[in-house]
Parts: sequence; C-alpha cells; structure tokens
Amino acid sequence: MDRKQTKRKKAKFSDVISIVAHQLKTPISVLYGYLEVLASEELGKLNKKQKEYLLDARKNVEVISNIVKDLLDVSKIEEGKYKLNPQQVNLVKICEEVIASFASWARASNCEIVFKKPSVDVKAYVDPSKIRYVIENLISNAITYKSLGPARVEIGITKKGNNILFSCKDNGIGISKTDAAKIFSKFYRSEEAVILNPSGTGLGLYISKAIVELSGGKIWFRRNRDKGTTFYFTVPATHYVRKKKAKTKNIDDRG
Amino acid sequence: MSEKRKRRPKILMIEDNIFLRKLYRDKLTRAGFDFIEATNGIEGLNKAFSENPDLVILDLILPRKNGFDVLDEIRKNKKTKNIPVIILSNLGQEMDIKEGLARGAQEYLVKTDIRLSDAVEKVKKWLKK
Repeated sequence: MDRKQTKRKKAKFSDVISIVAHQLKTPISVLYGYLEVLASEELGKLNKKQKEYLLDARKNVEVISNIVKDLLDVSKIEEGKYKLNPQQVNLVKICEEVIASFASWARASNCEIVFKKPSVDVKAYVDPSKIRYVIENLISNAITYKSLGPARVEIGITKKGNNILFSCKDNGIGISKTDAAKIFSKFYRSEEAVILNPSGTGLGLYISKAIVELSGGKIWFRRNRDKGTTFYFTVPATHYVRKKKAKTKNIDDRG
Repeated sequence: MSEKRKRRPKILMIEDNIFLRKLYRDKLTRAGFDFIEATNGIEGLNKAFSENPDLVILDLILPRKNGFDVLDEIRKNKKTKNIPVIILSNLGQEMDIKEGLARGAQEYLVKTDIRLSDAVEKVKKWLKK
C-alpha cells in the first residue's frame, strides 16, 4: 500500500468515528432527559430499588456520553480542528474541585489524595474545561491503576519562570519500559491497564497530550525510584503566542 | 376576583427529534406553559409568525431550513424580532456558539451538556425579562 492509500484509509476511519459519535449525541440527550425526569420523581414516587436502578442507568449514560465526547475530540485533533479557548485560570481552584469530585471514589478505592496546595493562587493561561480534563485524566489514572493495598496520590502545582508545572505522583502499578514509548498514543493500552480497567478507551492521555501541547506546554512522566509514576505537565502562566501567529494581523474571525 | 387571569406563556419548540419534543412538551406543560411544536425549519418559521409564541427553542440541524436561517428570519420580521430565542443544539464548538449568539439568540445550550431542569430555568429566566 502506498502512502496515499494509507492516508485515505486513515481519513475515512476518523470520518466514521466522527459520524457515529455525532449520531449518538441526540439519543444520549434523550435518554439522559427521560432518566432525569423519572429520577426527579415528578411523575410519581419511586421505591428505593427503582431509584437505584435509574441512577445506575444515568451513570452509564454518562459513561457513553464521555466516550462519545472523547471520540469527537480525537477526530477533531486529527483534522487539526481542535480549538481551545484560553483565558487566565486559577489552577489551584480547578485542582481542588477535581479532587473533591473524586473524593468518594478515592475513599472507596483506599486511595489517599494529597494536594500540596500552594499558599497563593496559581494562574495559568489555558482553556478551563480542557485543562480540567487533563487534570481529571491524570488523577483518575492514578486511582484506577493503583497497586493492591492502600495508595497515595500527590498533586503539586508550582510556578517555574513563565510556566506552571503540574505534577501527579502515585505509588501505583507503574509503566513498563516497553509501554513508556507508546503511552500517549491513540487507543494504546498496556496489558496491565487492560487487566485493571478493561473498559478504558486508551484516549485519555492522547487527548491530554494534544490539549497540553496546543496550550503551549509539554506533558511527560517519570518512573519513580521506589514505586509508581509521576506525570508532569507545563502550561504557560500568561498569554502564549505562537511564533507563526505573531506575524499575522489582529485576528478577527467574525467575517 | 376582578384581576384578569394571566395568559400562560407560549413556547414554540422547533426540533426534529420526536423524543426530545415529547420530553420538553411534557416538562414545560407541567411547569405551566403552553407548548407548540414544529418538526422542521419551514414549519417552525410559519408557526413563529402565526402563533405569537413568547419564546422559541430552536434546534440548528433541521430539515428543510437550518436553524441559523430560521433565526435570521425571526430577527428580520417585525412581529418576531424581539422574541427570545434559545438555541438547543448538538453543535458545541466555540465557533457555532459565537455564530448563534451573533445572529441574535439569547442563549445557546448544548444538548449533551445541559440538564433538562436547567434548560427549563433558562426558559423561565427569559420569560421574566
């Protein structure tokens, strides 16, 4: 197969992903809406088991919805159409919110999340919902891929020059040397990852890498000396201008 | 009581998905609104002109005439130019949202992100104004 053919095949694949994901959006909204009304009990009281089932159904609709969002993001990244909406954002607040949202899951998983909270606000120039995705992804990976027994995840944020450095250190199962090179690739899943979390898509780190790099930063990890992994990313503290763009005139996309 | 009974505010939903229409019809009727609906852009526009709705909930990807064009014509017509329009769409890109608001929608809601109850709150908010 020559190069052209490979490229065409690839384009078709991402088209299919995009079409399927778009088609799933409306039925997901419908399902979610119906479940929301039923769970609110405005149509009648539910017994405990009925309520429990409905909430379970709703959680699973959320799972599907998140997969669809990830797939659409991937197809946008591949087409070069993934857009960020950066602004000054307080990363400390986002970290606190993410950690709070994972609190009960972490507790149930016997995992302690420690936030080495800086004494002052740490502002970064990023897209708030996208950077939240990255932070959620790294912390949820740390919880998901923990070792047996009690686990500890340490989150840190510091300002380094004109960049903000985020770190997420775990004492989990770690990343083998063979997996290390592929961990940020699309759909890649290590054997251990599949065993611990068979339903993962292998898209989280791929999307996270795209987000961080489009924000003007870098993402990487180190194997800890003792056990587990530390993931890092940097993002600019203030407005980041790409050299290429700096030449163009004031961008006004209203046309 | 001599006070006239207030007319129930009338909502027009232009949406081609039958289940979403049913969901909003039931919910908004329970919340005390009159609800009329259209399944495509042309029918929606006709109803916007003939039925005097107090608010329009507008999908964007619609048969016969897309939502952006429907919105343009609602804003051009003297009778309907001041009616609040809430876009409720699957298109969630920054570009689409900017365009919807630039063309004169009061609110832009993304179907997969908005909860039904929050959407109803938005409807109430714009009817109060």
